[in-house]
Amino acid sequence: MAISVLPPAPAPVPTAHKTQDGDSPVDEDDMDIDSLPTGHQRTAQNILTPGQLVTQDPQWMRGHGTFNADDSDAVNIRSTLAGTLQKTNKLLSIIPLRARYTPEIGDLVIGRIVEVQSRRWKVDVAAPLLANLLLSSINLPGGILRKRTSVDELNIRSYFSEGELLVAEVQQLFQDGSASLHTRSLKYGKLRNGYFLSVSGMGGGSGVVRAKRQIFTMQTRRGGEVDCILGVNGYIWLAKHLDEKKEDVGINKLEEAAAADTTMYSSQNDEIAAETRAEIARISGCIRALVENGVKVEEGTVKMAYEASLEIDELEGEVSYLGGERGRSVVEMVLSGRG
Amino acid sequence: MAPYTNIPLSPAELSYLYTSLSQTPPIRPDGRAPTQFRPLVAETDILPSANGSARICFADGTEAIVGVKAEVEQSRVSGAATGQVESEGVLGLGTGGVGDVDMDEEDGDEEATRAGKGEEGWVEVAIEIPGMRDDDALPVFLSAMLTEALLADGELKDRLWINRRFHWRLYIDILLLSQPLSYPLPLLSLTTHLALLSTRIPALISEKDEDPLFNDDWEASRFLYPQSKTASGGHRKPPVTLLMLSVSENVIADPSREELAVADAVVAISVAPTTGLNAESAYKTVALRTVDPPSRLTGAGVPTALNTTAGGTSLSAAEALALREKDQGQTVWRPPRGGVKRAMIAKMIKMVTEKGGVGQEVLEGLAGVET
Repeated sequence: MAISVLPPAPAPVPTAHKTQDGDSPVDEDDMDIDSLPTGHQRTAQNILTPGQLVTQDPQWMRGHGTFNADDSDAVNIRSTLAGTLQKTNKLLSIIPLRARYTPEIGDLVIGRIVEVQSRRWKVDVAAPLLANLLLSSINLPGGILRKRTSVDELNIRSYFSEGELLVAEVQQLFQDGSASLHTRSLKYGKLRNGYFLSVSGMGGGSGVVRAKRQIFTMQTRRGGEVDCILGVNGYIWLAKHLDEKKEDVGINKLEEAAAADTTMYSSQNDEIAAETRAEIARISGCIRALVENGVKVEEGTVKMAYEASLEIDELEGEVSYLGGERGRSVVEMVLSGRG
Repeated sequence: MAPYTNIPLSPAELSYLYTSLSQTPPIRPDGRAPTQFRPLVAETDILPSANGSARICFADGTEAIVGVKAEVEQSRVSGAATGQVESEGVLGLGTGGVGDVDMDEEDGDEEATRAGKGEEGWVEVAIEIPGMRDDDALPVFLSAMLTEALLADGELKDRLWINRRFHWRLYIDILLLSQPLSYPLPLLSLTTHLALLSTRIPALISEKDEDPLFNDDWEASRFLYPQSKTASGGHRKPPVTLLMLSVSENVIADPSREELAVADAVVAISVAPTTGLNAESAYKTVALRTVDPPSRLTGAGVPTALNTTAGGTSLSAAEALALREKDQGQTVWRPPRGGVKRAMIAKMIKMVTEKGGVGQEVLEGLAGVET
């Protein structure tokens, strides 16, 4: 059957909302803040809506996503977002259910060039505002630490032109929340040899989360090694792993390394075997399945989902499309494996 | 047809996608087989006050609702007929009783009396896409394509004929609820198909050229597309329009956004079950349109040999030109030029209309949708 038509499913039932005192039903507005565990776990099941009263108890401090409604001294902490409550000691903040990515300094992001200006690029990083990438904050070929010249300014499109993808780090934040990026490291730069997909980022819910490693290499069964770059902003790049004899070069030797690496700004793909392409498609299917089923995307879950998909293939015959039912069973295996 | 532009992809991505899709068998970015569809969620009869309605959600998150409304309208009577109608004066009341309601057996006769009497203007398709005006190119072209396919077999408009003085006017309102993430034609067409299948019009109890009077029992209403079998043993069904695209020698069904972005050619094929007795195949093409592939609007990649920042040597103008012309899509992405071969179009049509082909799968899949 080439097409499967499903009946509409009812909205998923929220996972076991326990009422503390047996049969006494929890009042809608009563958040029962005291019993909420502190920290980042998404344990709160009550969803707050904008304007809803969180608490009137003066012991709490208001954090992100809340405001004090009245001008008077009385404490009336209300929500400004639709989301769940998070408690950090005495600080209350609301984690939105869904939001765009908010850049933070040091984040590894993947961006797409939207606009080329005279000395900078405007980059789409899934944030509310476009990020800046200055010509002075990229690696210039032929000597990394040289000063940029007017020739570089004229050739700005030969580094990055519209639509091209790059991986970069957030260097600086401006007052309005927009970010300034830099690619001054050999692990950053233009992306090629692979496939791009975008999922939701740090905005809440499922999607890519900040982790110890955002860039990792996966050993696939048939297709050799595949590089995964999980941008904190929810953009993901899966590419063929290139064998490079690149040791960790110190800042002083960057110059030599950059001079040797002539492919830094190339947009020409290398030869990629069909097996590698198939494995990249499989990993992207795993990531999509994770997101669709509300599991966060990080190195561990991606690797587990990949293994699970291979395992299911062995049990039920090979199907490379991981949509619908197949995706769900992959995610179930990931969740059970994690315990 | 209207070009569909979206966010540009980088030349490296386009090249990767194109090469993947032109392998044998093609490797689609989501791992599907060439003619495999993404699972979709469908339901019909969702709007209580419409004659027929349906909702479909595609797996990529796009969603559409279609409502069909039928209205009685006085026909413009021309020439000799006018005088005759006017002389009738005050119109008689309907005399038909409940016993007349069951008209299914009379289908054959009725088809005969109605044949050729319908007019194309009686079907009105309106498409609303968020963020677009009614007179933008995309909704206008989409509604033209859908109308064309609906009217192609000529049976629908005849079924709207009531008598010499009155007819049904069919309003098909198509509402895309999500942003048009990819070319929304198949989604809108499948939803329209389901809505029309579920459309019911009240049973007529008046006779001949009287003012039409209808049975107000909704149970007795009749389906716009009769559920009785046709001469060839199939069912009468509205057409569905499917997008097929070609990449190199491969043909791909149900393209996603990024697949559309590298297509050599995109063809919208409308397919409907044949109703005639001695038809060769059970499905026929009722309309065919090519869609401007968005790949033509993409920018070409720069080969490393020409890229001075990537260690390329500065070639002479002639050498650079030769490199650009000779390696059409060999090393870097080049937007496709020229048309597509006839044999390729024929192959696409065959894949849709043949027995067990894409068209049959889709129509049978949609027939299983419960209200």
